[in-house]
Amino acid sequence: MNEQLTEQKSIYLQISEMIETDILRGILLEEEQVPSTNELAKLYTINPATAAKGINLLVDEGILYKRRGIGMFVSPGARGKILEKRRAAFARDHIAPLLAEAKSLGITREELLDMIREREL
Amino acid sequence: MSLTCEHITKVYGGREVLKDVSLTLEPGKIYGLIGRNGAGKTTLLSILTAQNPATRGTVAVDGEPVWENRKALERLCFSRELNVGAESGIAAIKVKEYLRIAATYYAGWDKEMEKRLVALFELDGKKKLGKLSKGMLSMVTIIVAMCSKAPYTLLDEPVAGLDVVAREQFYKLLLEEYAATGRTFVISTHIIEEAADVLEEVIILHEGRVLLMEDTQALLERVRYVSGKAEEVDAAVAGLEVHHPETLGRSKGVTVFLKPGQQVEESRDVSVQLVNLQKAFVALCGEEERHEA
Repeated sequence: MNEQLTEQKSIYLQISEMIETDILRGILLEEEQVPSTNELAKLYTINPATAAKGINLLVDEGILYKRRGIGMFVSPGARGKILEKRRAAFARDHIAPLLAEAKSLGITREELLDMIREREL
Repeated sequence: MSLTCEHITKVYGGREVLKDVSLTLEPGKIYGLIGRNGAGKTTLLSILTAQNPATRGTVAVDGEPVWENRKALERLCFSRELNVGAESGIAAIKVKEYLRIAATYYAGWDKEMEKRLVALFELDGKKKLGKLSKGMLSMVTIIVAMCSKAPYTLLDEPVAGLDVVAREQFYKLLLEEYAATGRTFVISTHIIEEAADVLEEVIILHEGRVLLMEDTQALLERVRYVSGKAEEVDAAVAGLEVHHPETLGRSKGVTVFLKPGQQVEESRDVSVQLVNLQKAFVALCGEEERHEA
């Protein structure tokens, strides 16, 4: 939750991704309460409506759920959902720019695969 | 429920400072008013709060006209930059006296908050206004705005002269007060980037007219900076609203404002980046003339 905001992505997306990352890293646990929109607004010095938009995105995806009068909580199974979603987006978010850069540098497919094989995961 | 002005025109010495400005400020939002020097920001804020008569047009708060209407004025606070020049007459007033006078104007004045903020900003109540630095005068205006508890609070350049730590304190204070009360705030500032994320809506005033009024995040989602080889850039942004072209040799960069359904031509070999509010503002209100590509 303490990453810094960048200009190159909408703030509400960054807020929702930071909460997801905290869930993946075990900083936020399932069935645990997440910070309120006002707490997030004050921490990042952003409008609460923007923070709420980020939170609501996760509610729509079933990653967070609302307990009336208390606040937002991490859903059971949220971690699995985030993993699944990020894996699905991996090719688009990470492989596509990698290929584009390789292409502009004239790196062949075989050379690229060799480079990946040389690295340990 | 709103603070509304319709067809406001203001003429000073034959010059139109505001030209047919109509705005509706909804309760429970933080608005930003940005514009270049002389765009008419202070004049607009002072007319919205009946500190200054409009040449033409009307202003109403929650349905009540504001001009010479005590009931309406109780709902408004205009916190403007303090002028402590020789002719102002307030230079000899002490900080705590000034705050005591300000408190008499507002039925809901929060004395506890006043004490807390004087301590937070480390202001000396016994000091005369004329002896305060620019930043300390801004702190006094911030205290008046916050403690007034007015449902519609308009702050003109509240962070002028404040150092970066005090500016951050102000925005956190504003968000705290907003979270606690849902009051409506309008903030004018030249330090756009620091304020951008706090502002739910932004109003851009340019040469006396409202150039744009939009949800800040929605605006930023539709502005792109496109750069690369000049021909590729021109082809990528053909038919879009293009501002502020800059060229360097064969390279070119432009700022485009997309309309719903539009996008930058993806097949072109160009870089497409998001921009911050300050860059979007400069692209709109900078000197270079606008043209359709």
